[in-house]
Amino acid sequence: MYNMEQTTTIWEKIAWFFETFVFLYGTSMLLMYALLAMLSFISIRLYQKKAAYADYTKLLDSPLVPGISIIAPAYNESVTIITNVRSLLTLNYPKFEVIIINDGSKDDTLEKMIAEFSMVQVDFAYNEKIVTQPVKRVFKSTNPAYDKLLVIDKVNGKSKADASNAGINAAAFPYFLCTDVDCIIEKDTLLRMIKPFMDEEGKKIREVGEPCPECGYRHIQEDSRRVIASGATLRMVNSCEVDEGVITRVRPPKQLIPRFQEMEYIRAYVLGKMGWSYINSVPNVSGGLGLFDKEVAVKAGGYDHKSFGEDMDLVTRMCTYMRDNKMKYAIRYIPTTQCWTEGPPNLKIFGRQRTRWGRGLIQIMSIHKKIIFNPRYGRLGMIVFPYNLFFEFLAPVIEFLGILYYIYIIATNQINWPFAKILLLFVYTYSVMITTLAILWDQITYRYYKTWREVLGICLMAFLEPIIYHPLIVFFALKGYFNFVTNRKHAWGNMQRQGFGQKQTQTA
Amino acid sequence: MVLADYFFAPFFRRYFYYFDSYPIVIQIAILLTTIAVLATFSAYAVILYRRYAGNRHEKKLARINPDLDNYITENIILNEQLATGEPVNQIVLPMGIFEKSLYRRRWVQQATIDRIIHYRKNFGGEIGGLLKKLYIDLELDKVSFKRLKSVKWDKKVKALKELTAMDMSIADVNILPLTNSKNRELRSEARHAYIKLSKNEPFKFFDIVTEPLLMWDQLELFKIITTTKDISIPNFARWVTYSSNKSVVAFCLKLIVHYNQQQAIPAIEKLLDSKDHYLRENAINALGKLKAEDTENKLVSIYSNQPLTCQLEILKALGRMGTGNHLEFLRHEFLRSADFDVRKNAAKSIINHKADSASLLKELLDTATAENALILKHCMNPLIKY
Amino acid sequence: MNEVPAKNILIVEDDDIMLKVVERILKREGYGVEIARDGKEALQKVQDNKYALIITDLMMPYANGFEIISKVNGNAEKRTPVIILSSLGNEDSIMEGFKMGADDFLRKPVMVGELVIRVKRLIDQNK
Repeated sequence: MYNMEQTTTIWEKIAWFFETFVFLYGTSMLLMYALLAMLSFISIRLYQKKAAYADYTKLLDSPLVPGISIIAPAYNESVTIITNVRSLLTLNYPKFEVIIINDGSKDDTLEKMIAEFSMVQVDFAYNEKIVTQPVKRVFKSTNPAYDKLLVIDKVNGKSKADASNAGINAAAFPYFLCTDVDCIIEKDTLLRMIKPFMDEEGKKIREVGEPCPECGYRHIQEDSRRVIASGATLRMVNSCEVDEGVITRVRPPKQLIPRFQEMEYIRAYVLGKMGWSYINSVPNVSGGLGLFDKEVAVKAGGYDHKSFGEDMDLVTRMCTYMRDNKMKYAIRYIPTTQCWTEGPPNLKIFGRQRTRWGRGLIQIMSIHKKIIFNPRYGRLGMIVFPYNLFFEFLAPVIEFLGILYYIYIIATNQINWPFAKILLLFVYTYSVMITTLAILWDQITYRYYKTWREVLGICLMAFLEPIIYHPLIVFFALKGYFNFVTNRKHAWGNMQRQGFGQKQTQTA
Repeated sequence: MVLADYFFAPFFRRYFYYFDSYPIVIQIAILLTTIAVLATFSAYAVILYRRYAGNRHEKKLARINPDLDNYITENIILNEQLATGEPVNQIVLPMGIFEKSLYRRRWVQQATIDRIIHYRKNFGGEIGGLLKKLYIDLELDKVSFKRLKSVKWDKKVKALKELTAMDMSIADVNILPLTNSKNRELRSEARHAYIKLSKNEPFKFFDIVTEPLLMWDQLELFKIITTTKDISIPNFARWVTYSSNKSVVAFCLKLIVHYNQQQAIPAIEKLLDSKDHYLRENAINALGKLKAEDTENKLVSIYSNQPLTCQLEILKALGRMGTGNHLEFLRHEFLRSADFDVRKNAAKSIINHKADSASLLKELLDTATAENALILKHCMNPLIKY
Repeated sequence: MNEVPAKNILIVEDDDIMLKVVERILKREGYGVEIARDGKEALQKVQDNKYALIITDLMMPYANGFEIISKVNGNAEKRTPVIILSSLGNEDSIMEGFKMGADDFLRKPVMVGELVIRVKRLIDQNK
């Protein structure tokens, strides 16, 4: 809050610009959160209204349901593989298959499946639409009770993306659900997640170009909004009671780090993704659970095994594919929790995960930089990417610079302590409010947890987050960026090939 | 904000002596801080209240439902008179628990409706009829009809769902306005209800609807049409020929296949000249499922001009018909095509010919390339379905 | 293996209402009835006991109906008749059910009279 006329030195001018920028930045970020909170509320209310009369069982006995292939890569999952495959096989849906990709496990994951489900090797005509590491063998069960199961044994490709691609290649149905084999999925997940694909409004067709001289037919294009992906809320399984792959009692994690994550997930999905979904600007469908349109995913080139954020990368490429081909699309989220995943239990693993995410984000920002502020890409270019650039990607950087600046003005004794405290308190209470609202929206969706003490246990995290959890996230994100920048040469080479591959799939 | 300032300024002035002299940014920050704190505590209050109210409701339901279950099991499912062959409408249901004043409360009535509907989903025939009698005897239909008059669209949809689940007839004056509602959900639900409950012309919406039937609508309609007892099934070829709504045509094709309406084949065959790929694809699919062998030659003759999706449907159709007239064509496609899916579908259709293609299959297996042999083996393996 | 009276029926169903009602109906007809609420319980029961008839749903937690059928009739010398009672009504599931060795397929909503007749017929046949 300097007065420009009194400033003399260049440093003071810089300080003034920095302060003004941070002020505007902070204000718009707070506004964004307020907006998201409102949008997500409308979105959840609408979902609730529909849920009050929607009858998902109608899907069960209909011959018109679209088939879904569940794709779950497994790498050294020997301990849990059997119960988890069983749990996938007993999902409520009339037409689905379960594809487990044994990604060159070093333990007996494959052997266990072969024994438990009486599987034999079959001659499988595998169509390599997306290039992956070689598939060694394909197995089917001789017991008709397990005829939904398909097991692929492939050479390890050092990434989930490569294994998932092999699954997509083998998938028989027009939609595929991507998940991790150690995630626990609610029984009604497929029913709930396919619905957005089936009741998206705004369908029409249009004729384009001149009639074909050979057949006399005019080329017809679907001008309807096609749902290309849907997602749902994820939560932590850490302290839940699980019986053979079925959740029997939901509980917030007892350990600190996973509990923070549960709070963060609730905010990111129920408040974030639901808000974005309402204005059709979902930036990402989580790798833990997402249902995709196979045709679009394949045309977009499948997962990129070199990406550190392969889920967001795929969604971005699917969106650009749709935009490049002038097709309308939508990505929809549902607020109910359908998937329970194991959160990193300690700081070390957590740090590794977040560093990777940070690295993934900067990688996506640089690979897809042509999208940013490009009106050709519609909402993707004008909303999704600018938001991600400023409020996801740049946030840790600006926060870090802000802290440095604070330290500087404290050290040089230029700080106005009362005002600084008031502003700090404001940011703190605002962040607590947003998180608490997210928890409220979540409770409106469904009364998760058994006791109100457990709910308050999650609410409490909102107070601790800005002090403990948030600095950690900022630190690991910066570390991820740093890793990316210092490995620059290597990463750049990857990106070149990436760009090339992309063009190929688009013209194909 | 100005208004809030007007109210809060004196308050702040008392606690922050210098409030007025602060920069505007700080003033706003203080205001928003207060709002944030208030909002946070309100959120807690709402969470606690919702949990309390929700849990209480659940407990109350847990007390009511066993009584309802007992009543329905004893008096409806195990009804003595029903067992002796008494017609449903002559059976007198005892009042039992419903004498209690508790059962005239709004939420208990709702719980009763939900329970009856759940039973009706599981039990049909005379028991279903008796459940409907209970619903009417308890005047629960009035509850549903009253909700149909609600101003909220979601309440109206719920009312329609209840009334259709109970097979109640709704007067046209009540339902026709809803079929033109601005709200898509309500509009389609009203149409579904009309098809199910209208005695006059249940399918008249197929004539007038201009917007596409969403997949979800098609699913619901299909269920209603195929499960409603006394609906008279028309010849769906009518819409295949005359409707300009592509989704209605596609949907009618599915119904034609379901009811195996062979007389519709000429109408479907005309669709093969449609310029819409999607419609042609669906038409070919229907012809295959109807085993319309007379159209086989036409399908083969148009094959080379079709886009991939239609070509695949033609290959499938030939397999479904299984006449053996075009095995040479299938063989040709299997051997010559560069496209994996074409080869796979050609192989499947050859195999579908069973005994007729045994010698051809043997020949192909002996001579095919490694990849083609793999496709054949894949399609022949009974363990692999797709 | 416990040798239970020949007229014992096992009902496997995860919908509580359906389970209880079918139990009452069959008990009224004079059969001994045991119930299982999910696939795990059912697999345990068919392993420990021998039943005159099994009525099973298809979609349940832990194990589906097909698995139960294959467990019952997979390597037994004397088959146990099975009726599938399910809301899954597409042709594929029905075909699959019969392929697995189910003797009958009843779709929800169920006609009680029909259920009783089919149960009686299968049990009498198997005597």
